Amino acid sequence: MRSVILYLMNMCRVRWVRSFLHPKTVPLVTGEGFRDYPHLTEHACTHCFSCMMVCPAPGAIEVVQDGEIWYPVIKKGHCIRCGLCVEICPDYVLDTGHVRRNTGRDGTFFQFTYHLDVDITRCMGCGNCSVSCPVNKEIDPQIGHSGCTISDEVIMRVIGGKARILNEAKCTGCKTCENGCPNGAITVARVLEAKQVQ
Amino acid sequence: MKKRVDVSIPLGPMHPILKEPCRLKCETKGERVISVEMELGYMKKGIEQIMKGRPWQEVMFLAERVCGICSVIHNMVFIEAMEQLSELQIPARAAYLRVIVNELDRIQSHLIANFSYCYTIEHETLAMYLLNIRETVMDLLEHITGARVTCSYMIPGGVRFDISADDHKIIHTGIDTIEEEVTRYAGMFNTGSLIRLRSVGVGILTPENALLAHAVGPSARASTIAYDPRTEHPTYQDLGFTLVTRSGCDNHSRIMLRFDEIFQSIGLIRRALATLPEGLIRGGGKFTKGTVIYKGEAPRGELTYQITADEYGRIVDIAIQTPSIMNEEACVHYMMTDVTSIADVTSTFISCDPCIACTER
Repeated sequence: MRSVILYLMNMCRVRWVRSFLHPKTVPLVTGEGFRDYPHLTEHACTHCFSCMMVCPAPGAIEVVQDGEIWYPVIKKGHCIRCGLCVEICPDYVLDTGHVRRNTGRDGTFFQFTYHLDVDITRCMGCGNCSVSCPVNKEIDPQIGHSGCTISDEVIMRVIGGKARILNEAKCTGCKTCENGCPNGAITVARVLEAKQVQ
Repeated sequence: MKKRVDVSIPLGPMHPILKEPCRLKCETKGERVISVEMELGYMKKGIEQIMKGRPWQEVMFLAERVCGICSVIHNMVFIEAMEQLSELQIPARAAYLRVIVNELDRIQSHLIANFSYCYTIEHETLAMYLLNIRETVMDLLEHITGARVTCSYMIPGGVRFDISADDHKIIHTGIDTIEEEVTRYAGMFNTGSLIRLRSVGVGILTPENALLAHAVGPSARASTIAYDPRTEHPTYQDLGFTLVTRSGCDNHSRIMLRFDEIFQSIGLIRRALATLPEGLIRGGGKFTKGTVIYKGEAPRGELTYQITADEYGRIVDIAIQTPSIMNEEACVHYMMTDVTSIADVTSTFISCDPCIACTER
């Protein structure tokens, strides 16, 4: 009996009667703060590649060059809409939902540091890492096919048959060396730190 | 399974009431169910193996995808485990915001669990009411975090976004609506005579059996076992959390316990909002190496992460123990034996809130 009364009470509510007399489907609206696929803003990209480094989904974002202009491209089938690329971009190139507004208000940001690690027992001294590294190529375009160079400014080079890390701070975390290593000897750690302005 | 009778009825792996694939093999004698066995393995993802060798910014999103319904708690337990391993301190405001989002997630998870139960016992009106109010909770989650399911809100040293004064008002209005509506629905469930016929005294899990099967979460607490890892969590202790139990041991009391926990979560959110400390939301800090075992309370029960990390915070080894497997075993071996109808097998199975996605990971 109590149950019947409860149901009748439910049906006597104004909202119920109104929705009963005028049934209509709730319109499908996207919430204001919904974190959708990132879209480009009017700011220019300086191709620092932070967005590519932070992206947790493989191949979801790629910074491409069109003439003189660089811009990021989001692949919608791969993107998981986490919004990390929006938060890390120093030039406000991307935006989605409330992410840019909130990070601006709270003064929150991400900071990257990259660490290189060579497993000496696995390294064969082939020099693939030193040759493939784009930063090495910029510093010493004459770098030899087996990682031989006389420059001490490069990130890594082959010394005594093993790859040695000389300038870890110059690493941009692209992982080209890691992907090019035939023996899995060199690894790049992308250490991300979440910070806030005091 | 050793056959003892002629008729064994398989339910699943594709069955209208199962949200995810699993197979229940029921041995029956007439309508009475003598024993049930569960067969898993239809959707193994191997997510722990994918996590290995990756830093937190990748593992965090994988951890969220272990379970499709209670994703926030996986994020929270993984990040808090790594914080404990690295001895990071988080600001008080961030800790409170974590609790708010986690409790909102618990509300929506319990609502969908109760929806499934009502749907299984063919009370679709109440089921749709519950699913409708769940949208309000999802909207609140979306407003705070930007996403409805995979919120990715907690990060090392704090949370991603702060809440403003306007957001306070929106959350208050939202949880007032939820409380008002869920009170009515809980009343309907508790007093509905047909619901009681299908629920009271069905699927009994005695406290002894619950301990034997290591049942956790609402399934255990509805059998008078007072255990909840939230009582050991410092933020929940600050908010004066006390666990709720029920002594019914049946389907009805498991569903009512979830309603109780929804009200408890609403109370926790109110208290957290009222006493939200001012200050930063991110403390910074990097993850280091070590090994840790950390527990948290997922909507379905105790969730444990065992993590080994290297010096740059990359995952070397990870093992996740999710609550569903214990509850499902308790359900299959103790709740379902001697139920009087095959129809009660499905409703009993849903009453323990099985989540096959996190069982198989």
